[in-house]
This record gives sequence, structure tokens and C-alpha cells, in this order.
Amino acid sequence: MDQFIEQIVTGLSIGSILLLVALGLSIIYGSMGIINLAHGEFVMLGAYAAWVFHTYLGLGLLASLVPIFLVVAAFGWVIERYVLSLLNNRPLDTILATWGVGIMLQQAVRLMVGSELRYVQLPPALSSSMSVFGIPVSSYRVFLFVVSIALFGATWLLMNRTTVGMKLRAIIQDRSVAASFGINAKRVYALTFAYGAGLAGLAGALVSPLKSVSPDMGTGYVVDAFMVVVLGGVQSLAGTVASAFILGELSGGIAFLQNDTVAKAIVLLAIVVLIRFRPEGLFTARVRA
Amino acid sequence: MPSHVSHSSGLQRLIAQLAPLLIVCAVVFALPVLLNNDFLLNKVARYLVLGILTVSLGLSWGFGGILNLGQAMSFGLGSYAMAMALKLKTVPVHTGASGLPDFMVWNNVQHLPWFWEPFRSLSFAIAAGLVVPALVAAALGWFMFRGRVTGVYVSIITLATMVVINLVIIDQQSYTGGFNGITDLAQLEIFGVAFDAYGRATYYLVAGCVLLSLLVAFAFTRTKAGLIVQAIRDHESRVRYFGYDVALYQIFVFALSAAIAGLAGMLYTVVMEFASPTFLGVQLSLSVVVWCAVGGRQSLVGAFLGAVLVAGMQGALSESAAFLETWTLVMGALFVLVVLFLPKGLAGLAQVVLRWIVQRRQAAGRGVAQGVGQTEGST
Repeated sequence: MDQFIEQIVTGLSIGSILLLVALGLSIIYGSMGIINLAHGEFVMLGAYAAWVFHTYLGLGLLASLVPIFLVVAAFGWVIERYVLSLLNNRPLDTILATWGVGIMLQQAVRLMVGSELRYVQLPPALSSSMSVFGIPVSSYRVFLFVVSIALFGATWLLMNRTTVGMKLRAIIQDRSVAASFGINAKRVYALTFAYGAGLAGLAGALVSPLKSVSPDMGTGYVVDAFMVVVLGGVQSLAGTVASAFILGELSGGIAFLQNDTVAKAIVLLAIVVLIRFRPEGLFTARVRA
Repeated sequence: MPSHVSHSSGLQRLIAQLAPLLIVCAVVFALPVLLNNDFLLNKVARYLVLGILTVSLGLSWGFGGILNLGQAMSFGLGSYAMAMALKLKTVPVHTGASGLPDFMVWNNVQHLPWFWEPFRSLSFAIAAGLVVPALVAAALGWFMFRGRVTGVYVSIITLATMVVINLVIIDQQSYTGGFNGITDLAQLEIFGVAFDAYGRATYYLVAGCVLLSLLVAFAFTRTKAGLIVQAIRDHESRVRYFGYDVALYQIFVFALSAAIAGLAGMLYTVVMEFASPTFLGVQLSLSVVVWCAVGGRQSLVGAFLGAVLVAGMQGALSESAAFLETWTLVMGALFVLVVLFLPKGLAGLAQVVLRWIVQRRQAAGRGVAQGVGQTEGST
């Protein structure tokens, strides 16, 4: 029984990391129809930002979260403004453009700080462990879980309870009608992309103490995050949450029985089979195009 | 009379379309005469193989509208099929009585696994190098296209599938050689001809396959099925309303493209003398997309030349490590610029330039004719 609960808790921990990384991706795809292949590189930038703030400015991880969000969001804003907005009517080409941007970011980081692994310290306040249902769990993992849920809540509020969110939803429904009501679609898109990028940066910063930081760390995360979005379906924030935790539990469980690689392979196989019978994802009604 | 006119102009168009292909292949075949250096010839053969791989992507992406970000998966499967057969042909030095590959001995494998057995036959391996990638692609395509998944989702699923297969190959070290891949291979020998990686025979084998795959791909784009595939790319639901089984055509072009990529993979093993998990890595798959976009995704010859030129340039610059790192940065920038401003790649640019020259010449001709008319009128 203890082992079972331990597996559930491990799954929740994996799921919260998946949710952190997938949230920004899901926002950007769901609202702009852009598959952002540079997302992994935004995660990587966030992790490096945490390292830079810590090593050169002596800032702790928790104190640097807000500046990291702003820095990576600024990157996202620039990329949307000067690259993606030129590709308005070519959605498939945005994959290529963001991929190209991703290579450049990765390579630029490699040239500037080198490709050796970097390490970010756990916040001292969270380095102990606490008891969850009688199982000792690292406080930091509990913290990640809470943060991921909080960020999801904030994003939901932003989309559904603010003026910017309402404008964005209007643009999603019909861009030209929204524009004729005086909504500046370009500005809202740039802000959305910046927000998604900022979320990715936060995700990178938050996972950086758990894993080593390297220029190519983003690739693994981005593939997993896409699986979350594919399973959850687009334009469904709740679907993203549900599928992140389903995938987390599934990977955790299979990895316990077999190993990480087998878990990845089985999860992928399950998703491919699922897509044949439920192409719109688990939690949406719209057919993807 | 009108039918005769349209027939001859159709023939002319066919010749005009085939001309670049044949010229490029003629240059490829003539190169060993000019290039009397085995080392360089091996390098060029490598770029040609990557060219074939890029043509296969051009077929599914440029003509079928299916952006396969995992094209290197088929390439890698082909390359492993060839490597497995060539590994079993080696004279084992450190191996047991049953002639196990060396890495299996190191991993305490006692018997040759069942899926290695058939690779004792070279013809089986060559068939597998074509059929296995095609079957994997067809199965994946069945799930995706029958589920009417299109666009970006296809790209992501193909990418994820490749990543997972790559991980599995690295993970199953005792059966696949893991991270190191399969090395120390025997030479390929077909009908008594030995294909040394640095020999002329290998170069001509590669050149022949370049010609073959370009012709097959070109012929396919001219068939009815090829035209329907292009129609699906342009307007999927309209083709569906005409009563065509859209998914079937998509699966076919996807599998055909995978088989060509498998062929390229087998040749790559022969040229490089090993197979490695990097052959089905994200890095290579990404590069193929870049080459295809730079060369021109809707032109087979363009895609081929894009790969040979960009990969060749990269090879020439890779002598110094610092340069190589900057080069990746430059390639990323080049890629973004091409996507933004040259969606049809260099082939599209060449077409525009050609058309401009023809128009200018026609205009000039008309000007001359007018001038002649005027002088005649004045006399």
C-alpha cells in the first residue's frame, strides 16, 4: 500500500513538471495556432537565467522567479514581433521558423556560456522533506506541485476574467470582426506569445535544481509537453491539466515496473492509438486542423 | 490539330522539367573523372546520400503536404538493417563459436536474437531496409491519417516517434550496440563486386541510387496518384468530396518517402562504415528539413541540391570547431530567413529569375521586331 501511494505521489510530481512546461505551449497553440518548437529553448533560457542570477548576482531561486519570467517573456515578445507576425497566413511555416529560432538560441547559449553542465542550488528553505500521506516527499516537489496548480489558476483567470483575456478570446473566434471592434490583434498576439514564453522560462527555472542545466535540455521537455497537448486536446486548459497528470501517473507507474525508456515508448504508442479513435484529444470537441 | 499542339507542348514541358534532373545526375556521374581523390570522393558520396534523404522528405512535404519531422527515423532504420547484415559478415575476433557480434559478447548475450537471424542473408537485409521503414510509416500513417490528423500534429507525432525509437535503440544496448551503434562492419559485396567506402564502385552505386530515386520520385509526381496527392496538399476536403480516399493516398506517399529514406540509410552505412543512433537523431532530422526548405521543398532537384550544397559547405567549414559552432548559428538564421522570405527556397528563386530572363528576352525580341517593322515602313 505504501508503495502504491509512493507511486501516486511520484506520478503527481512528474505530472506537475509536465504541466509547468506544457501550459505555455498549450496557451500559444490554443490561441494562436502556432506550434512553438522554440518552447524547449525558452525552458532552457529560463534555467540558464536562474543559473546566471544565482552565480553572478547571488540571487536565490525564489527571488529570481519574477525577473526570469520577465526576461524570457521579453525574448518571446521580440520573436513574435519580428519573426512570427510575418507568417500570418502560413501556420505550418511557423513550426519551421520557431525551430530555426530554437537552433539559434541553443547555439548562442552554447557559444556564450559553453556546453558543460551547470547546476542550480535548491532553495535552502525547501531542501528538507515533508510527509505526505505518511510518505516522505521532498518539500521542493510539493512546492512544484503547488506552483504548477497556482500558475494554471492564474492563467485561467487571465484568459477568462480579464480584458486582455476577453480580447484574446474574441480574436480566436474571429480575428477580423474583433479587429473591427478596435481590438489590436497584433498587440494581443505578441502579449500572448510573451506570456507563454515567460511561463516556459519559469518552468525551466523551477526544474533547474532537479536536473542539470545544458544547452540542449529543452528537446526532451518539448517532446513530452507536446504529448500532453496532443492528449489533452487544443484550446482546453483543463484538458492540459488532466492529461499532464494522466501522463505523469502513467510514466511514473510504467517506469517503476520497467524503466524510463519503456515508459516513454508505451505512452507514445498509447497516444498514437488514441489519436486514431479520438483525434480531437481526450477533452475537447473540436477536430484539430 | 489543337490536340497535336497540346501534345507537343506537353512533351516540351516534360523535357523542360526533366532537364535539370538529368543535368544534375550527369554532373554527379562525371565527378569522379574530375576528382581524383578517394577521400574527397567518399565525402561527396556522403553528401549525395543526404541528398537522397532530402528528396524523400521533399516528396512527402513538398508534394504531399506532410511535414515529417522524423524523416531520419526511416533513414536510421535502413542504416541499421544494412549494418546488421554487414556485422554478421565480419570475421569475429573476440566472439564465441556461434559468431556473435562483438558487442553482444560484451553484453553477455548467449545466442543471436531471433530478429537478427534473417540478417545473415544480404538480400533479406536490403529488402528489410526498404520495407521496414515503409511498413512503420504506413502503420503510423494509418493511425494518423485515418484519424484525419493533419498539419502540425503529424509533425509532432513523427518527431516524437523518432525520439522514442532512438531512445529504445540506445536503451537496448545488448541487441543494438546502444550508444556506440554498430561498428567494425564487413564490406558490402554484391555479385562479386566489393563496395569499399573509399572506392569508385561505392561512389557509382550512390550515384546510381541518386538517379533512381530522383526518377522514381519524379515519375510518381506525374502519375494520377501523384497529382491527387498534390491536390490533397492544396485542398484536402475538396478532394475528399470528390470521393477519393484521402487517407489512402497520404499513407502511400508517406510510405514511399520512407522507403526512399531507408534506401539512403542503407547507402549511408556503406559510405560511413558504421551505424549509429545519431542517424535517427533530432539533429539530423532537423538538418534535413533545413536543407529541403533552403533548396526548395516543391522541387525534387532543388531539395537534392539544397542538401548537397549546405551539407557540403558545412563539411568544408567543419575543419575548425569554433567555425562549426558559429556555422550552426548561421544555419539557423539562414533557415529562418528562407522560411520568411523564400518559401519556395532556392529552386523558387531560380524559377523567378529564369522567368524574368525569358520575359526580358521576349520583350527585347518584340522590340527588335517593332524596330524592323518601323524601318521597313520608313523605306
